[in-house]
Amino acid sequence: MPASSPTPHPTPSDRPTFDAEVLRKTVLDMAYAGSTVHIGCAFSIIELLAVLYRSHLRYPGNDPLAVERDYLVLSKGHGVMAQYACMRELGWLKDEAFSGYFADGSDLKGLSDSRIVGLEVTSGSLGHGFSVGVGMAMGAKLRGTDQKTYALVGDGEINEGPIWEGAMFAAHHALKNFMVIVDENGFQAMGRTQDVLALGSIQAKFESFGFEVLTIDGHDEEAIDQAIRQLWSSQSTLPKALIAKTVKGKGVPFMEHNNIWHYTRLNQDSYAQALAAVTGSAA
Amino acid sequence: MRAAFSETLVRLAKADPKVLLLTGDHGYALFDDFRRECPTQYINAGIAEQNMVSMAAGLARTGFRPFVYGLSAFIPVRVLEQIKLDIAHDQLPVVLIGDGAGFVYSHLGTSHQSTEDIACTRAIPDLSVYSPADRFEVSVCMDLAYQSKAPVYLRMGKSDRGDVHTQMPQASIGALLPVQQGHTGNISFITTGSMVRTAMDIAAASYPDAAVWSVPFIKPMDVQQVAAICAQSRAVVVLEEHSVLGGLGSAIAEIAAELAPVRMLRVGVPDRFSQHCGTYEYLLKEHGLDRAAVAHRIAAFLRAA
Repeated sequence: MPASSPTPHPTPSDRPTFDAEVLRKTVLDMAYAGSTVHIGCAFSIIELLAVLYRSHLRYPGNDPLAVERDYLVLSKGHGVMAQYACMRELGWLKDEAFSGYFADGSDLKGLSDSRIVGLEVTSGSLGHGFSVGVGMAMGAKLRGTDQKTYALVGDGEINEGPIWEGAMFAAHHALKNFMVIVDENGFQAMGRTQDVLALGSIQAKFESFGFEVLTIDGHDEEAIDQAIRQLWSSQSTLPKALIAKTVKGKGVPFMEHNNIWHYTRLNQDSYAQALAAVTGSAA
Repeated sequence: MRAAFSETLVRLAKADPKVLLLTGDHGYALFDDFRRECPTQYINAGIAEQNMVSMAAGLARTGFRPFVYGLSAFIPVRVLEQIKLDIAHDQLPVVLIGDGAGFVYSHLGTSHQSTEDIACTRAIPDLSVYSPADRFEVSVCMDLAYQSKAPVYLRMGKSDRGDVHTQMPQASIGALLPVQQGHTGNISFITTGSMVRTAMDIAAASYPDAAVWSVPFIKPMDVQQVAAICAQSRAVVVLEEHSVLGGLGSAIAEIAAELAPVRMLRVGVPDRFSQHCGTYEYLLKEHGLDRAAVAHRIAAFLRAA
């Protein structure tokens, strides 16, 4: 399919639905099983990943290693449980990997690791994946393929200098096949981004770096889907940026906007309450 | 040596269109031939080394064979984490070239001097470390790095110290290369990069029966060969234009301590920054690495035996 096609990614009918409720439940189950942290930053990207996997990312033959695949780089590796949940829907990860999360000798780590088939980069040290993604986009351009590269970064992550080095490179080399998606949940490790290192307008920043930018509600799947299509349908050669306004901990009222869930582990009670919240049932 | 580097890079790039040269806005005249011969394979990534190295990983993931060039003070030390996480962790075929290692930029001060790069890179799993001494070795190292399809840090130091070999050596990865044959039971010099010439000069003047070995492959290194050299030597002198901490001297001492204990003198950069600036020769003197100072230390070491 030519890169300029206005509707570049038809949805295969056999794709999983990537239901956000199911994905959040999977995250809660594995977080409880593994007694792990980083729930809030996984919940803020659920809808973004759901839309990408459902409607945009191309994996010919459902093969995560297909040479012609699109690239999804989870640069904010801390949200990896959300990606694991999507990979489960695709059949790339088995149920045992979830029930045995963090067990001694298990494979799935607490941060994105490129040795897991389906994950493209090793993240957790922030500001790496974006640039690796820029390199992938450059590679696709040099090879003349129509592959797309998506780099999902956190708003806290864009404190990192290499993000802006890579942004300059992507714009200078007209990497129109590259899209950064910023999970703007307003928090980073120690507090609100506004209080730690104020970012100002992320849209204006990327625009000034030569990106074509849209800002949307990062939990509105229809809006996400339309924005991605609109950006790809652009006739310009600019790299793309999608700024997703999100809620850290989205889906569980006592986690939302509460940074403690970057660090807190679920106990029996909080697990039951969170599960009730995401599935819409009474606790 | 730099001409050989350029020639080899052009040859590899012309033979394989997947070879790319990325530079962090360095190598002004060095890449004239490359830019003329292979313009579409040349990327000046700007003064943005972190992005350049991560991007090289992305390019390698899409099938390219990046050679990433910078000054040794920046590639690898400034970007050590990018090398570790983005390249070495996945054994991607990226060759990282750190030019001007040691005291090449003798007038510019600490920011441009690189005497800890071997120590930093040696400890990264799956990353090879090469340190050629002359134009023959740089060519061999480049070819083997390309053929290995694995992450390599290639250290280029002072490049105008002349040949240490008379012809292209037959080398396999890890092998120490003889530049002066010695006699069993005598002393052996084990050295790398710019200091191979120093060792040869001192040996020729004062120790005609000593063996002199050049080490173009700091890692991996042929452990059994090193152990055999140590076992057959009365004493071993290691010379390098790098910190005495964590470099070639450390690597040889680690092997000898386990397999073939031998009296050993490690000659390298003391654990200190340069105090002054001046010519390359001046700075070697400041750090006790000029030929006269090294010869004096070796003589004292052997007298004390």
